[in-house]
Amino acid sequence: MSAPTSTNNLLEIEQLSVCFGGLQALDRVNLSINEGEILGLIGPNGAGKTTLFNVITGLTAPSHGKLRWQGNSLAGKKPEQICRLGLARTFQNLRLFRELSCINNLQVAMGSNNRRAALELLALVQLQEKADAAAASLAYGDQRKLEFARALATKPKLLLLDEAAAGMNPIEKQDLQALVQRVRCQFKITILIIEHHVPLMMQLCDRLAVLNFGRCIALGSPEQVRRDPLVIEAYLGSQR
Amino acid sequence: MIDISLFVLMLLGALLALAVYLPLRAGQLSLATPGFYTIGGTVAALLSTQLPGLGGSDAVYPLTSLLLEMIVAIAVAGLLAFLIGKPVLKLRGIYLAIATIALVEILRVVLLSSPWFGAAVGIFAIPQPFEGPEGYLIAYGLLLAIVAWACARLERQPLGMAMAAIRDDELAARCMGVSTDQVKLIAFVLSAIVAAAAGVLAAHYFNSWNARQANFDASITTLAFVVLGGSRTWLGPVIGGLVLTALPELLRPIGDLRLIVFGLVILLGPIFIPQGLIKSKQS
Ligand SMILES: Nc1ncnc2c1ncn2[C@@H]1O[C@H](COP(=O)(O)OP(=O)(O)OP(=O)(O)O)[C@@H](O)[C@H]1O
Ligand SMILES: [Mg+2]
Repeated sequence: MSAPTSTNNLLEIEQLSVCFGGLQALDRVNLSINEGEILGLIGPNGAGKTTLFNVITGLTAPSHGKLRWQGNSLAGKKPEQICRLGLARTFQNLRLFRELSCINNLQVAMGSNNRRAALELLALVQLQEKADAAAASLAYGDQRKLEFARALATKPKLLLLDEAAAGMNPIEKQDLQALVQRVRCQFKITILIIEHHVPLMMQLCDRLAVLNFGRCIALGSPEQVRRDPLVIEAYLGSQR
Repeated sequence: MIDISLFVLMLLGALLALAVYLPLRAGQLSLATPGFYTIGGTVAALLSTQLPGLGGSDAVYPLTSLLLEMIVAIAVAGLLAFLIGKPVLKLRGIYLAIATIALVEILRVVLLSSPWFGAAVGIFAIPQPFEGPEGYLIAYGLLLAIVAWACARLERQPLGMAMAAIRDDELAARCMGVSTDQVKLIAFVLSAIVAAAAGVLAAHYFNSWNARQANFDASITTLAFVVLGGSRTWLGPVIGGLVLTALPELLRPIGDLRLIVFGLVILLGPIFIPQGLIKSKQS
């Protein structure tokens, strides 16, 4: 029998805390991300989800705790180094290179001017026709797709998607779900996704982690999490 | 009649504009260009007047010596930009601009106060590699063609794209694996090299050289070239440099009014054409 790869920890988050002045944005969070899984991160506004992404990608220094990537500490690594180790992200408030064309956006991330490879990635998100249009000229949903493709262009092992479906209509959300699943198989990558649309997350994710006030209050399969009383109280129960 | 020397100055303006453009493409507002231009000119003036071996007393100064000056000037300016750029480029936006103005001032004072560099009077009787302005026109034309071609190439290379990405969103560029510190430093060094090369020719062309070339006015004028022309692609600064160098001369018939017109162009340009005359292909 082959070794159970699903127990391989790609990223280990240990006792991670982040304080902004008096505000505890993350409070002793423990989380292991397994190779190949789609791990969902949900929680109310201000729960600390984006802060967790910022710590993982080296934008915010943790106050306490450790991050281990494939067994090695990420402490003190710069964002560009972390990206080159194989962690790439999208941003909740789109951060495209707005004046650059779609294809140049991808080429920057690839670090090469290989047009064909960039076009292939654009085709994956159905933007090949917009290849030479400025990123800023795209519709909002298309900008999200472009950012997704740009993150993929760095050849990540772990893809971090912050509110991947925000601002998308129901059809676009369906497409995105299919796309994420397809990308996971095709590129053999692991995905950590933040998204408020719970039904989508229930279908898409292998496991869900729930953050509330900076604490990880639940972790498990979507079924387990759905039935967790703490979660119901903190998140699903609160009318959003 | 417009005489040929105006065209020489226009080409010089275009080159200096490209020097300002390079860091600006990476979002770095450096006003150090006149400083590196002065360094280039000073290197040329010193070498050609102090080293008899280069042929300063020949009837016509050898082109090989001119080329040698270029190489030395580029090395000196490039090395200096590398050493200064590391700490200075940590500053952002207007603070970088202020720091680079200070650098130019320091350089000016150092040159002015040391007799070795000609002090306040400057260096005179710089030998002539060309018999008339036509030769300089060709030399500057050649230099501009090379620099513009290199810039056009750069824009299509990963480095040039990374520069534009930094200008658009530095943080996102870092998260996409761009070594932003390194890219900014390269842009700064390239800028210094272009300015220094332009300075080498200028020292010969003007026949004398002193540290007053490096002043705040020059910083602002060269910046205006890029503001008017645009900083999205190499053609913008070239047009800006050509036009704004020619403008005061073309407006000479209207007397002192020309300074007002010149000022208005610089003032109103950014308001009505914020991206400059020459925009990029997209958008
Ligand atoms: N740089 C910062 N400085 C100070 N406070 C911050 C900073 N970044 C985030 N916070 C605060 O930390 C808390 C967590 O913010 P975070 O953006 O991580 O929440 P989130 O779970 O992503 O919320 P949302 O669903 O609204 O995106 C919030 O109270 C926020 O105001
Ligand atoms: Mg968020």
